[in-house]
Amino acid sequence: MEEERPEGELPELRLRELVSLPPRVHVVGRVVRARRKEVVRRSDGGRRTLLAGLLSDGTASVRFTWWDPPREEIEAGTVLRAVGAEVREFRGAPELVFSWKTRIGPAGPAELPQIDGEEIPRRTVRELVDGEEGFRLEVRVVRVASKPVSVGEERRIVHEGLLADRTGLVAFTAWSDFHLSAGEALRIAGAYVRSFRGRRQLVLDERAVLRRIAPEGLPEAAEWLRRAPRPIADLEEDGGGEAAAVEGLVVALLPPSGLVYRCPECRRSVLNGLCRVHGTVAGVPDLRARLVLDDGTGALTVNADRAATERLWGIDLPTVRERLRETPDPSRLEEELAAAVIGRRLAVRGAAVRDDFGLTLTPETIEATEVDLETAAEELAARLDGGR
Amino acid sequence: MGLREPAWRTTTRELAAAQSEERGRGERAATYLWSPYGGRFNRVAIAGILGPAEAVGRTEAPSFWKARLTDPFGTIGVTAGGFQPRAMVQLRAAAPDRPALVVGKVHLFRAPDGTGIVSLRAEAVRSVAEAVERSALAEALRQTLDRLDLLERLEHEPAATEASLREAGYPRAWITAAREARRRFPDADRAGFRAGLRAGIARVAGRLGPATDGAPWPPGVTRTVDAAPPVGEPGGPADRAEEAALLALVDEGAEGSPDGYADVREVLRRLLDRGIGAERAEALLGRLEEGGALQEPIVGKLRRA
Repeated sequence: MEEERPEGELPELRLRELVSLPPRVHVVGRVVRARRKEVVRRSDGGRRTLLAGLLSDGTASVRFTWWDPPREEIEAGTVLRAVGAEVREFRGAPELVFSWKTRIGPAGPAELPQIDGEEIPRRTVRELVDGEEGFRLEVRVVRVASKPVSVGEERRIVHEGLLADRTGLVAFTAWSDFHLSAGEALRIAGAYVRSFRGRRQLVLDERAVLRRIAPEGLPEAAEWLRRAPRPIADLEEDGGGEAAAVEGLVVALLPPSGLVYRCPECRRSVLNGLCRVHGTVAGVPDLRARLVLDDGTGALTVNADRAATERLWGIDLPTVRERLRETPDPSRLEEELAAAVIGRRLAVRGAAVRDDFGLTLTPETIEATEVDLETAAEELAARLDGGR
Repeated sequence: MGLREPAWRTTTRELAAAQSEERGRGERAATYLWSPYGGRFNRVAIAGILGPAEAVGRTEAPSFWKARLTDPFGTIGVTAGGFQPRAMVQLRAAAPDRPALVVGKVHLFRAPDGTGIVSLRAEAVRSVAEAVERSALAEALRQTLDRLDLLERLEHEPAATEASLREAGYPRAWITAAREARRRFPDADRAGFRAGLRAGIARVAGRLGPATDGAPWPPGVTRTVDAAPPVGEPGGPADRAEEAALLALVDEGAEGSPDGYADVREVLRRLLDRGIGAERAEALLGRLEEGGALQEPIVGKLRRA
């Protein structure tokens, strides 16, 4: 079926040949996302299934349409080899069409092309957007930690952490061990960006190419973690951020806060003895506080865990449960917690993400702060005297 | 959308001046008050000394309470009702005249003669240590100065782009509020307002207040007998005559108004016609309210108890 074309010269075609003569290509790529659809033919009302999605080989991402795909799920991350795919143009960008004429099947990640860092565009951390790939990045490892996860039946080790350049911080997830350590400077190619629950992440898989480089022009690893608090309005504008530092007053406590019960399997909140996933379960008691922190420019929700809640409240979980036994009214407890936290000035650092309800911050540190009144008064007086 | 409104840090003086209202459209639309000093208030946070709470209305189980919050610049009415149970409990908590933080929504009451009175519907009230109240005041002053600086910059460079102002660290909402303040209040005395912030610095530094001897606290506050200029001997004949005059005016005002309340501004103006100055009148009002002869169930509205 492959068409032969003379080198350097385009053959003259009759118009009717245009339909039968799309260029055919042979590509290997990874499915970034795919969605099954059903279309109804206008001519006879017949139904046809197609899979529409995005395919990437690390150098670019191209939309694809796969007519009559196999019944089994084609998951994001699957690597495909397609021989004889058609290329079409849609709104100035190429698109691939897999039809009965295409030989298509799974391939191994090792079959993906190795990408050299030099031929692809350079990006800064701030510029990265969800779904992006085919770029290189020069960053410093701010921190890295490993944790075991279950992927289906398989147990794997995932390496997670933060990367930074002068423009910002980004979380990363590495599925292979690149033996990273904090402080190293890297040039990364072949990674891609994926958002998970509103949080931007750089994913490094087998085909990512990492090279240690001289750290010139990159911030110190700890620099981003030491930064002074920034206005919440700025964080809102950025749509969140990693290791974001903010300071403000607790102006409200949102439900559910206080004593909560969690599913022993998945730690989701249990409502009326029911877990959304695991059904009727015996909930495990836990403490949490959803604090609204406000600095006058904006507000965000801080999700404090048990340890942080105990520290802010001044009592621990066993004591809270003891109090509940004495006065069996959980809402009283929530009021006590509210009284303990509202109006407190806190400095908080953690990953902030934005959704329809605003920013939510998962704190790594929560500290009560105090204002040095003498210094504050001097500074204010100086500003009044100096005009600015 | 759906972003929570930030609690603007401000003072009673700026709130009193924030009388330009913007009503949002649609269901549950937010209402904003523009201030001449670069504020666009829906929710605010303010620190001061919170007075005792009084029930509004005379039902057996009152569900609406009000108190006065005093900072170095003046006072503002703070209300809380059944829809803000947490704030209501805190507002009613014992220990009157305690340092407190209040977070709440601004509310503008417009009297028939056009004068406006701004009050707060509390969402959160917390009694705090004096140092905390002073820190919150410091923060309010700092942010107020930041906003005044922004206004000043716009005065000098009206064409400054939003990008350049954002670069200088000003939040987008502040830039909008500053531009609007210049449009809505072209004649506002911003230099005077700025200079007046000094009273607040004295409080931050601890040179003013109940913890230090010397300067009276709350300073310059109306409606407290201590701080007002002498009104003659309380209980003396001249004093009683003035009280009677005031009560008569309240009765007259209440009778002539459709809602059965006398407007406080109206009463003050008519007292002035009789040679009773504003400060004196405020002191009288304060005493009559404390003595239980008068009530101010709605901020700015008076009636006989």
